[in-house]
Order: sequence, then structure tokens, then C-alpha cells
Amino acid sequence: MPTTTELYAVDRNVYAFRCPECGALYYPAPMVCRKCRNRRDPSVTVYPDFEKVPLGGPCRLLTWTRIYALPEGIDRPSLAFGVVEFTNGIRAVGVLMTEKPKTGALLDARAGLVRELVGRDCYGLQLFDPSP
Amino acid sequence: MREVGIVGIGHTKFGRLDYDLVDIMAWSSLEALKDAGIEGGIDQVFVANMGAGAVNNQTGIASALVSRIFLEPAMAETVENGPASGASAVKCGYLAIAAGMADTVLVTGGERMRETTGWKATDFVATLTHPDAEYAYGLTLPAYGGMFTRAYMERHGLTEKHLAMIAVKAHRNAEKNPFAHIEETASIDGIWDGPHREVVNPVMADPLRLYDLCPVSDGAASVVLTAMETAGRFKKKPIRIAGIGQATDTHCVFNREDLLDLKAVRLAAERAYAMAGIGPKEISLAELHDAFLILEVAESEEVGFFPKGEAKKAIERGETEIAGRIPINTSGGLKAKGHPVGATGVSQIHEIVKQLRGEAEEGRRVKNPRYGLAVNFGGFGNNVVATILAKE
Amino acid sequence: MILDELEKRLRPPARAVPSYPPKVIVLASGKPLVVRQAENDDIPILLEAIEPLVRVRKDFYDIVAARMYAELLSQYLHRTLDPYCLIGTIDGVIASIVNGRMIDEKRGMSYHTLTIHRGLRCGAHMFAAKMEHHMDVLKQEEVFIVAESYLGFKRWMIEYQLEPRPDFQHELGGVGSYALTRKLYDTYKTRLLAGTRPVPPEVLRTADTLILPDEYPQIPGFKR
Repeated sequence: MPTTTELYAVDRNVYAFRCPECGALYYPAPMVCRKCRNRRDPSVTVYPDFEKVPLGGPCRLLTWTRIYALPEGIDRPSLAFGVVEFTNGIRAVGVLMTEKPKTGALLDARAGLVRELVGRDCYGLQLFDPSP
Repeated sequence: MREVGIVGIGHTKFGRLDYDLVDIMAWSSLEALKDAGIEGGIDQVFVANMGAGAVNNQTGIASALVSRIFLEPAMAETVENGPASGASAVKCGYLAIAAGMADTVLVTGGERMRETTGWKATDFVATLTHPDAEYAYGLTLPAYGGMFTRAYMERHGLTEKHLAMIAVKAHRNAEKNPFAHIEETASIDGIWDGPHREVVNPVMADPLRLYDLCPVSDGAASVVLTAMETAGRFKKKPIRIAGIGQATDTHCVFNREDLLDLKAVRLAAERAYAMAGIGPKEISLAELHDAFLILEVAESEEVGFFPKGEAKKAIERGETEIAGRIPINTSGGLKAKGHPVGATGVSQIHEIVKQLRGEAEEGRRVKNPRYGLAVNFGGFGNNVVATILAKE
Repeated sequence: MILDELEKRLRPPARAVPSYPPKVIVLASGKPLVVRQAENDDIPILLEAIEPLVRVRKDFYDIVAARMYAELLSQYLHRTLDPYCLIGTIDGVIASIVNGRMIDEKRGMSYHTLTIHRGLRCGAHMFAAKMEHHMDVLKQEEVFIVAESYLGFKRWMIEYQLEPRPDFQHELGGVGSYALTRKLYDTYKTRLLAGTRPVPPEVLRTADTLILPDEYPQIPGFKR
């Protein structure tokens, strides 16, 4: 039985998922390991879940865009996105927080609030210039 | 397996249609039946649609369509495969006839997206993406279009001007297509060289500009398929479905080894070529899924018309124009004809049939075409259907 | 001019305010959109151009057209203080109309934007021209804006990131107003404002005599 604090805790991290059998790393989570076919069970009823590995830190920008037509619920004139690759080979999309993004640049990915949907705050990766 | 041909085609105008979705689909369906010279005798109906439930609050639309045009007791199903729903529904029709379960099939693709606002439509299409790793960020398909374009430009030296040239071609073709959503001319003087380019043709998904993106459209398109062995009873000569290929790729685009590799397009085309027993050189014209103009460029390379990175030279030489070596998007493409997502794949087939029959309008009619290729691109290339049609 | 005593009491004083200098925008089609200030003599034909749209339910054309009709009539009959109207023409044909007025030297009131010619962003260019008029020509500090259509709200409030002014009641009624400030204008004008001056005389001449549109994309099969 979770405590009240645990019940209402908000997990603000972004995770990669490691196969407990062979150690292969994935993002986002698959339901089976591509390498060893080990099954993942998010309910932890029949099989164990994959190990959660916080995703963030140094990464390289592979490509990026800034969009000016945003979907419902995002009332701002533009939003920039980038695809990044971490040193462990994992790739992800993140919201670019840098003024002048450049393909190939080293960035620092941190988890943060990226979108507020009805009844759901979405936490994702925000991509910053690396701290000096 | 039996050979399958197309004996009837129908289309609504694309754009904003203030009618019920099923009425829109009924219109193109009846046009296709009329074109085939029949009023009934349909064994099976396949309806391609992506958003009736989410956007129009309607479900069970295949059954509704059958009833709206009195085709009961035909078998009927809705096919949803994102923006590739149309070609998937044609594929289902092909399979039903080839397998002998049906002799004559009506395939109708339809969508009514302008009932909602543009930003809601953008949000609805974005539900194709991964719910946590993509959608949650507010990531949209145009965002992927922008990121893909940047990566392509940086690797292959394509410029914004190349895209503007394709936009001008698309508008020129659409202007002569009575079904096209976009009726306005686009000129290089306005969208590229013009003094007010930054405002007239603003950046929407950097580096993609407004005129590099397709509009949000309503509309429907239909085809009547039948077994080639009995096609003689119809009004017009059948156009044979010579090849169909399909392939899938990773759901999250960022998980592709090479972000620029549209593997599903390549595999789908290769499979369609193998089935048709031809190669890219035999193709007379192509309808390529250009929701963002970069996709016309990249797909034209993946299907084998040009080596990787070389499409820009073909654009410069006008090879993809109506009178060029390989005319692409003679209808105006998604870019200018419009993109009612569920209808698009069927509309592409409609255009190829029209061209192979020699019925395309003056000024956008391809000379003596033999084979036509349609590429219908689902998600951001995670489910692609290629179809080859042949004039017998 | 000798005015009837009663008319004098109803007519606001005609003050000397700077006129909007004409400009030309090369549209995506390559055609020029000439933007100029409408004179009072232009207003009857503008009313004629607007009238068919009063009965178009779609996209709130009815309310925008009906209100603009009344505002321009009021301007024509001298019942509005310091009004202005800008028109955009393509080959002389009325493509888009915007209007508003000065509240005082520092503050402006945006009324409406009505676009007949769709598909070339004429409405967006004309709205930007209206803001330019308030900020660069009338040298005002802020413009009060509300929207009646969803599209208008999204375009103006979100694209320009207008500041909400819930305590200010806009003259069009409805919800509290939004405001374009000079800071916002300076931030967004590079992306949203276009135009070249002076307009070559032969191009400007095309807008001398206004031509009614033959077609209204909002009214299929329209016949005048």
C-alpha cells in the first residue's frame, strides 16, 4: 500500500528502459527486448518491468526545427524541437531552450514541464546549452 | 490469384466542404459508380478514414456509407492506417477480389477535417506520434517535416529555392485540376524572390515555409475495382493494378539509424516493382505523398527515380514537370490538391487512373503514360503503401 | 461648410490626423496588393462590397460584415470620432478591408478585419497594416483589440501575444480587451509586417478606382 505522499507523487523524470536480462537500453519503452526477446510487464504481474534509467545530461543535437503552428492547448507563438543522441546511443526528442540551435552542438538535457494537457502535466526533456 | 483492375473513379472537390462526412463520401462513391456505368452490384465496400471518431464524432462510417447510397447488403469495413488509409483500403479491395471473396469492390476514402479548427486538426494528426516520447511535447508532423528538411539540406545541399520551385509546380498543376483545394497561383517572384517573402511565405516549421506545407482539407475519392477477367462488362477499359507493396518502420522517427532513411518507402516501392515485374525506369508518372515538399524530394529518390541527394538536379532541369522525364504530382499533390488524410491514398490512385486513361485536363496531361506509381505515406514514414497501375 | 446646428451637435470634430501612406505587398502569387487609406468617397462602394457577406454564417463573416458595414456607414455619415479605414486591392479589386479609430493621441481602437480574397494571407497583411497605422503613423502607444471569430482570436491574440486587459471594455462589447503594445509590435513586426514605399505610380493608380469583386469564395455561385 503506497503512502499518501507516494500516491500523489509526481515523477518529473524521463526514463530510458534497460532489459533486466541482456542490459539493452531503450527509449521509449518497448514490450519486448529486441535483442533477447525478454518480455516487459508494466504491471509487474507476470514478468518484471524493465529497469528505469533516468535520461538526461550531455547529448548531441542531430537536427532541429522551430514550429509556428502549434497544436491545440499550446498558446504561444512558437516552439523549438530537437532530436538528440546521448553518449549511450539513446536518442530522444526534446524542447530546445537555446536561442540559436546548431546541428552537431553539444547540449545538456534536463527533465522539465513541457506541456500541460487537461488533467495531465507532461514532463519531458528540455535541451539547454551546456553549463560553462 | 485473380488480376484486379479499376473500372470506375470518382472525386469531390477538396477544400472546405460544409456537408456531413458520409454525404461527402457518398458523392465520390456515386461518381465512381457512374463512371463505371453501374448503379449497384457491389460485393464489398472499403472505407478509408482516419478521424471520423476523433474529429467528427462519427463511427461505423462504412455501414453508414453503404446505407446512404443503398448498397446493402454489401460487405463493408472501415480501414484506418493513418494518412496511408486510402492506399491500404485499395489494397484490401485488391485482396478481396484476388482471393475470390468479392468480384466488384467500391473503395472510398474520405475525411472532414475543416469542421474543426486548424490547430485542433494539427493536434489530431499528431496523435499518430508516440504518446509519451513525442505527442506529450506538442510535437507535430510538420515539426518532423522541419527536422527532416534541415537534416536533408545539410547533407545534400538542397536549398529553400528548390522547395519553392516544387511549390510553384504543384500550384500550377493544381490550378488545372478541378478537384484541387488550392486555386491560387504561387510564383517564384512571390514566395522566393519577392521583397516580402518573410511575411508572405513565413517560416512555419523551420526551415519549412508556409508554401512547403499541405493545407488541411475536406474531401473524398473513390474507385471501383473488379476482377480483370470480368472487367469487359463495364463502360470503360480497366486500368490494371500491377503491383502493391507495403512496409513499416519505427514508430518514433528518432529511433531510425539514419534519420533521412525512409526505409519503408524504399521497401514498399521495391515490393510493388517486384510484383509488377518492372523497375522505376518504366514508370511514366508518380503521385508521391508530399504533405511537406521535402517528402516529394526524398520519396522520389527512395523509389529509385534519382540517386540519393540527386533529386535537386532533376528539379533544376524540370524533369518532374508535366512534360519532364518523370512527372511527379500531376494532380498538384497533397501540397496543392489538398490532403483530407483518409482520402489521399484513393485520390492518388484516382489521378493515376485519370492519367493512364488520357482523361487528365489539358495542360497537366502526361503524354502516352504506361505505368503510374502512387506512394501513400503513413505517420512520418512508419507505414507506407506503394501502388503501381498499368494501362493494358 | 455651414452645418446645420443640430448636425453640428451630432458630428464629432474633424481633427487633422496623419494619413496612412500607401504601400504595396508582393503576394505569393506575384501580384501586388496595394494598401491605401480609404477616403470618405470610397465608402459607398466598400459598403456594396461588404453587404453580401452580412448573410454568410460561416466563420462569423455575418457579424464582422454587419458591424463593419455599420462602422463605415457611421464614418461616412460623420458619427465616429477619428475613424480610419484601410483597403487592400489586387488589380483594383477590393480584397480586404480593415478599420478602427483613435481613442486619444496615445491609444487606438481596432475594429474589424474583413477579407474577401482568401488564400493569399491578405487578411494577415491588412491586420498588420492596421497595427502599423496605429504605431508608426499615428505614433500611438497601444491598440485595443478583441476578436469575434475563432480564427481572429487565434491569429491576433496568439500570433502577436497580445496582453490581456480584462478591465478595459472594448467598444465592440463582449469580453475584456486585449492590447498590442509598442513593445509587442516591435517584437513581431519583422515577422508579420510587409510592404514597400513609395508605391510606383502605375501600381498605385490601379487602386484609384475601386472595383467590386465578381466572386466571393465565401458565397459559392455568387452573382452580383
